This record gives sequence, C-alpha cells and structure tokens, in this order.
Amino acid sequence: MGIVNATKTPARSAPLSEGSVLGWLRINLFSSVANTILTVVALYIIFLLVRGIWVWGIQEAVWSAESRRECFKISKEGACWAGVINWLDSIFYGRYPREEIWRINVGGLLLVLWMAPLWIPRVKGKVIIGLTTVFLYPFLAGYFFSGGEKGIFMQVMVSAAIVCLVAITIHAALGFFANSSLLQFLLRITGADKSSEKNQRNVLLGLLAAAFIGVFVWQMSWQFESVTWTKWGGLFLTFVISGIGIAFALPGGIILALGRRSKLPVIKVLSTTFIELFRSVPLITVLFMATTMFPLFMPDGFAINKLVQVIIAVCLFNACYMAEVVRAGLQAIPKGQEEGAYTIGLGYWGTMGLIIMPQALKVMIPNIVGSFIGILKDTTLVSIIGLFDILGMLRAISEDVFWRGLHHEPLLFGAALFFILCFAMSKYSRHLEAKLSTDHKD
Amino acid sequence: MTASQKQDAQGKQAKLASAASAEVMIQLTKVNKWYSDFHVLKDIDLTVHKGERIVVCGPSGSGKSTLIRCINHLEEHQEGTIVVDGITLDKNLKNIDHIRTEVGMVFQSFNLFPHLTILENLTLGPIWTRKTPKAEAQATAMKYLERVKIPEQADKFPGQLSGGQQQRVAIARSLCMNPKIMLFDEPTSALDPEMIKEVLDVMVELADTGMTMIVVTHEMGFAKTIADRVIFMDEGDIVEENEPNEFFNNPQHKRTQLFLSQIL
Repeated sequence: MGIVNATKTPARSAPLSEGSVLGWLRINLFSSVANTILTVVALYIIFLLVRGIWVWGIQEAVWSAESRRECFKISKEGACWAGVINWLDSIFYGRYPREEIWRINVGGLLLVLWMAPLWIPRVKGKVIIGLTTVFLYPFLAGYFFSGGEKGIFMQVMVSAAIVCLVAITIHAALGFFANSSLLQFLLRITGADKSSEKNQRNVLLGLLAAAFIGVFVWQMSWQFESVTWTKWGGLFLTFVISGIGIAFALPGGIILALGRRSKLPVIKVLSTTFIELFRSVPLITVLFMATTMFPLFMPDGFAINKLVQVIIAVCLFNACYMAEVVRAGLQAIPKGQEEGAYTIGLGYWGTMGLIIMPQALKVMIPNIVGSFIGILKDTTLVSIIGLFDILGMLRAISEDVFWRGLHHEPLLFGAALFFILCFAMSKYSRHLEAKLSTDHKD
Repeated sequence: MTASQKQDAQGKQAKLASAASAEVMIQLTKVNKWYSDFHVLKDIDLTVHKGERIVVCGPSGSGKSTLIRCINHLEEHQEGTIVVDGITLDKNLKNIDHIRTEVGMVFQSFNLFPHLTILENLTLGPIWTRKTPKAEAQATAMKYLERVKIPEQADKFPGQLSGGQQQRVAIARSLCMNPKIMLFDEPTSALDPEMIKEVLDVMVELADTGMTMIVVTHEMGFAKTIADRVIFMDEGDIVEENEPNEFFNNPQHKRTQLFLSQIL
C-alpha cells in the first residue's frame, strides 16, 4: 500500500533556545536548582577577582608622581602607573634622542602611506606595491632611523624609494578618485596615449629618469643627524626586528618550501638540511650563536653590528618555521590542481604562482598570522642578549633610581600592549579568511 | 534509418576520411612504464590519426588512465617513444610545455581552480601561455561557455556549480586553448546519473566537430555512438582493439568477453 502525504507541513518558529539571550541563559545557567546555585557562586568569585583588580589598578592607583616613594605616600594599596607614564617615551623609543623622535614617527607614517593603497579596492597593481614595500621601503626607513652621511648606494636607494612612494601615492589617489591609474594619467598628460607602445614606454622611462634625477639632486641637499643603533630601543626596536622578520619570513619560507619539494636532489637536500637545522635549535641559541660565535669565524677587522646579526638570525630562523607552514599548505592542495594547471600549458612557475600558491596561502592564513604573532612575541628574547627592546626597557624601569623595584606595573602594561597588538592581528586574519573565501559565496 | 545507425554511418565515414588523410597525431611505440616495481604499461603500441575517436576501457588498475596521462606527460614513461603532433616526448621541458598546450585534458575530478571565477578559469591558459589579449580571451571563453550551454555561470565560482556543470566548464577550459587533441580520463565517473547525460551530450557534439579524442570511460553507450575504435586494456596490455560494433557484438578475447558480460 502506498502512502501519499497530501498536506504540506507548515514551518514553525524555532524553540526559545535558538538565538535569544534569555533562552540561552535559562537553558545553560539556570536549568535546575543546583545549576542556579553554581552560577551564583561562580558569579560571586568573578566579582571578587574583578573588584580586586579594579581597586588596585584604577580606584587606588597613582597616575602622577615623581618617584616610587611619592607613589607610596599617596596610596599604599594602588598601582603606581606614574612610573609607566614617566617612562612612556623610553618604552616606545628607547634611548633615541628626544629631539629626533619625530623621525621614527614619520618613518612609521610613511609605511602606512606606502601600504594604504593595498586596502583600497579600486587601486590596481597591488602586487607591485607590496613588493616595493618589502624591497624599497626598508632603505628609506633605515635612513630615517639611522641618519648620518649617505653613501652613494644609500643615496640611490633613498631617491628610488622617495620616487616610488610619491608615484604610489599619486597612483592610489587617481585610482580612488578617478578610477584611473598613474600610467594612464601620465600618458594622457604627455599626449603619448595615441602613439605606439614603444613610444609610450620611452616616454614613461624618460619621466621616471627625470623624477629620479630630480629627487637625487634634492636629497643631496639634506641629511639627518646620525643616531647609532645602540640608542635604538623600546617598542620601536621590537617593531624593527619583528617587522623585518615578518617581511622576510614569508618570501623566504615560500622559497625554502618550494626547494624542499623540488625534484632536483641538490636543492632538496640543501633546503631540507637548512630547515631542519634551524628548526631543531631554540631561537635564543641561534641569537647567541649569531652575536658571540659568528664574529669568531669572521676574518680580522670584519665587524657587522650586533643589531644586523640579530636581525639576520631572526629572519633565517623564522623563514625556516614559515617554510614548514607553507609546506603544510602546499600539501593541502590536491594534486589535481597542479595537473589541471599543467594541462592548460602553465609551466612550473605559472602553476605555482597562479594556481597553487594563491590557494595554499589562503588555507594557511591562520597559521601564517599565528607565526607572525609568534615572531612579534619571540623578538622580546633579544633583551636577553643585551638589546633594549620593549621588554628590556620595561625591566629597566625597576632599575631606575626613582622607580627602583617597580616591576608589576610596567610588565602589566607590556602584557596589555602585546595583547592589543596580537589580538588585532588575529582578528584581522579572521577577517581576511572570510573575505578571501570562495567556497560558498553567493 | 535509426539514430544510432545514422551515427554509425557517420562514424565510419569519419574513419574512412581520417584513414585517407592519415595524418598521425599520436604514435606510441613499445611504451613501458613502471610504478617502482609494478609494471603498469607493457610494450604498448598505439597509433591515433587526426580526427579519430578512441575509447579505452578495462578493469581498474589495467593502466588505461596511465596510458593517456603519458600522452601529455603527466606521467613519465621509462621505455619506448611517444610522439605527439610530430614532437617526441623526452626530458626537454620546452617540448613538454608545448605539447601540453596542444593536448587538452579533462579529469574525473574536474580540477577547476576554486579560487578563480568560471571566466577566469577559462581565460587563464590563453592569457598566460598563448599571450592572447584579455578581451579576446574572454570573448573566446564566452563562445565556448555557450557551446557547453552555461554562459550564465561565467561570474560564479566553481564551488557554486553542480558536478555536471563543473565538468562542462572543464571541457570548455580545455577547448579555450584550441587543442588538437582532447584526452578524457573517466569524465563521468564522479557524476550523478542525471548529470552524466549533459556531459556526454557535450562530448558527442565535440566529436561531431572532428576533434581527435581519446576517452577512458565505462559508458558503453557513448562508446558505441562515437568511437571509431574501442581499446580494451587489462594488466598493462592492450588485449583487444576493434571498431565498436565488432567489439561489443563479437569480442574475441576471453578477458574481453568476461569484462563485457560483467558490465553490460
């Protein structure tokens, strides 16, 4: 006997627990008498903890004083934030000369200006902008931070970076306001947009050369006062080391990962050895090796400064970790993708660059950002080998004559600062993931 | 004349025509391949003329997929020679890249690029390897999308399409490269029964245009309709090779008879 369901079952609204706060509370916190008691007790414990923190950290805290002794005079129960506030400049900039601090701020702003176009959807040529950030910006920033006499190489790189920055900014503005690009704009202005392709290229190269020469001559007329690296410190130094580490880790990791998967035995063995060597040693060991052992192997009179050694060590170390992250991502991409790409004639680099890497990087975003966060935090290890990064500065406060013994407040402040930075990165990675997902986009 | 008889007649004509011009597209001579110790292809000899449609069948593990994957060098053979469109496959990477642009391939698992839209999937090859201007590549892509009857999906991502639609996009992607030969590696095996037909229809249409095709498939109805020759493989050997009528109605080898009795 067949069964026929002639009536359509009407849809009903979901039960209380779905989507309503009250429903959730009732089911999860107050479902029975025992549960209600547990909830109330737990809430009381939380209240006690939070009140302690509130009283110590805010209600009784001292915000302005000249020394720790003065803090105690005002309040014995509260935190002495005055010490942290007095030292803020040092926490952020180390012992950088106070009248030159604007150079660090401007250097940072230039980075923002340089990278901002990457987040403007209508701007074209983002890959080039990204590459110049990694390869040109560091020279400009490096000169801003260290100053002094410019060598001929530095003069060239600084000029190139300035030309590039101006070009990017104009390009971004044109893209944002006129939906155009710098190339189109220049060609139209010079009237070359109607002529042949070769002519257009010549015009553009001419303009580029003219701009470069102009900037080159201009930059010869000024120079910054020299600030040696030993005066760098605080959050600024942390950003310099971890920033270079982050910028280098991903490209370095991609190259090492591809090397490890290569079919050529020499490349494969070299990459694998390199990766495993660095991965099997703690970062602090690598840092000690770089700063104390490495100079022993160098010929007499060959000296590079400690900061450069540390940066190189951090870069290599993190590139090796990143290589394994990238390799994991590459393995997550089905073999068929590679084959599909080969059958439409894309060679090895085309397949990797257009098909495999974009997908693998997308899969790896959480891990990559996790590594970036790790790099930022691991950088504090350099305080052990005598660089005054943010952790070094925070601990130095307790050795100051006026603030002797002030440990908790600076470290808490540092923890909060790191939390904000890392949490922002992690949030942004979630946002990126959602934005790049093409799985079920409608 | 019934439709199938008419198809047969057409097939025979095409075969005669190809035999007359006799331009050899693919020539395999004594091809051997091992996966470490496992001998997958044993002394394979095969000649495919321009415009010929060949169906390869056989039990799993018989080497039929490996055979066609050797033709565009997704797999490397160890002995023998493979000549495709006058070019010998060897270690020369330039030759391999060139042959791959001339040989289209459709996979069981589609292998569309999930991070690109349908249109980008289709234009990627022409733009990067043939250096076709973008607008022209897009026009060609739309033409082929219309031919496989899904132009309205151009701006979607592969993940939003059904299996049958994805496979038709995969066929269009290969056609955009304007290949001389098309290889099909079990194109309908991963599809629901309802979708098999829409893919086979596209393939039959393609066969009617005179494309040189090698199809690995278990769709015997399809083989009867379009094949000029059916090849039966077992344990790395080409066991039997015949035109479809003879192959299905009068199989000679015992293995073939057993295989056909099991699947028909």
